[in-house]
Amino acid sequence: MSSDKPCEKGNGRRGFCKACIGAMTAASTAMVGYPVVSFVISQPSRIGEDKPLEVPIDQLTLGQARYEQWRGLQVIILATADGPMVFSASCPHLGCAVGWDTADSVFRCPCHGAVFTAQGEVVSGPVSDSLKQIPFEIKDGKIIITA
Amino acid sequence: MRLFQAIYGWFDRRYQVTPLIEKNVTHKRVPRTLGWAACFGGLSLLIFLVQVFTGMLLLMYYKPDPANAWDSVTFIKSNVSMGWLVQRIHTVSANLMIVMVLMHMARIAYYKVYRSPRELHWVSGVVLLMLTLVLAFTGYLLPWTQLSYWGAKVGTEIPGAIPVIGRDIVQWMRRGEAISGETLGFFFALHIWIIPATISAFMGMHFAMIRRTGISRPL
Repeated sequence: MSSDKPCEKGNGRRGFCKACIGAMTAASTAMVGYPVVSFVISQPSRIGEDKPLEVPIDQLTLGQARYEQWRGLQVIILATADGPMVFSASCPHLGCAVGWDTADSVFRCPCHGAVFTAQGEVVSGPVSDSLKQIPFEIKDGKIIITA
Repeated sequence: MRLFQAIYGWFDRRYQVTPLIEKNVTHKRVPRTLGWAACFGGLSLLIFLVQVFTGMLLLMYYKPDPANAWDSVTFIKSNVSMGWLVQRIHTVSANLMIVMVLMHMARIAYYKVYRSPRELHWVSGVVLLMLTLVLAFTGYLLPWTQLSYWGAKVGTEIPGAIPVIGRDIVQWMRRGEAISGETLGFFFALHIWIIPATISAFMGMHFAMIRRTGISRPL
């Protein structure tokens, strides 16, 4: 029988079958691979993430800080005698989250000991920039952060 | 193709992969009389692997606590790219897995394959069926929908009919009097680790036994 003869590479029935199997394998791999890869690498937006952050002013206590999440950032709302201030909690040194020390009225970074005033200016520590202020507006007795 | 053959050849020269594949896959001989009905066991395993894989993907976003469970599943379905597909495959395959396991059992029962020397194949298979059902039941609660909640409520109520110890079993399953966050956490642990680990061990035994006795030749 002629089919017992070894086939030339790339042609004949065996070559055709191999090509078909290869194509089907590739198609199946793509069919499974595309959803899986797209699932794994997607960075989906959180529901309501782009909504402005609203905090009623009467919920703030003078001299104390309130921590909020806003667009994946941790922000600190500080009620000072001159009115509220909003800072990004990320330390300008290496990005640790600073905390408000109510007793001493300063921000302290837990990582490398940077200290900031209530206005966000550097007091001491391995850092040269002040805390980043976040712009906000006050409307209907609420602090609204949109930008 | 050349590149693939070069890489494969490198491994093959060191670890002799080809004879292994020939013996177990490409040149493996099965009885001629074995029909398509003999596929259901393998299909059950295939679906189990699909479940493990899609389950891992879902675990990237799922949050097992009452405040976030429903939101996180909705988030997967509506915000994550292809999340609707992965979530739906996981749900539908859970049902399919039970169907495949039952079809597999039906064939074994019909051809009386469970007879000596294969009694323990059957016993381990029944354990696998139970574990599959527990997997499906615990997974049903995780999306924390009304259906999940009441399904778990009714399901965990059933052992309450057992005299004397029934109420204790119900409380043990629910981690308390009612279906709560504790129940959700417990079912989550069962669903993603405890049962899959147990089922894998039993599958291993099940397959090892079949290898040892050989597949049954239909009469």
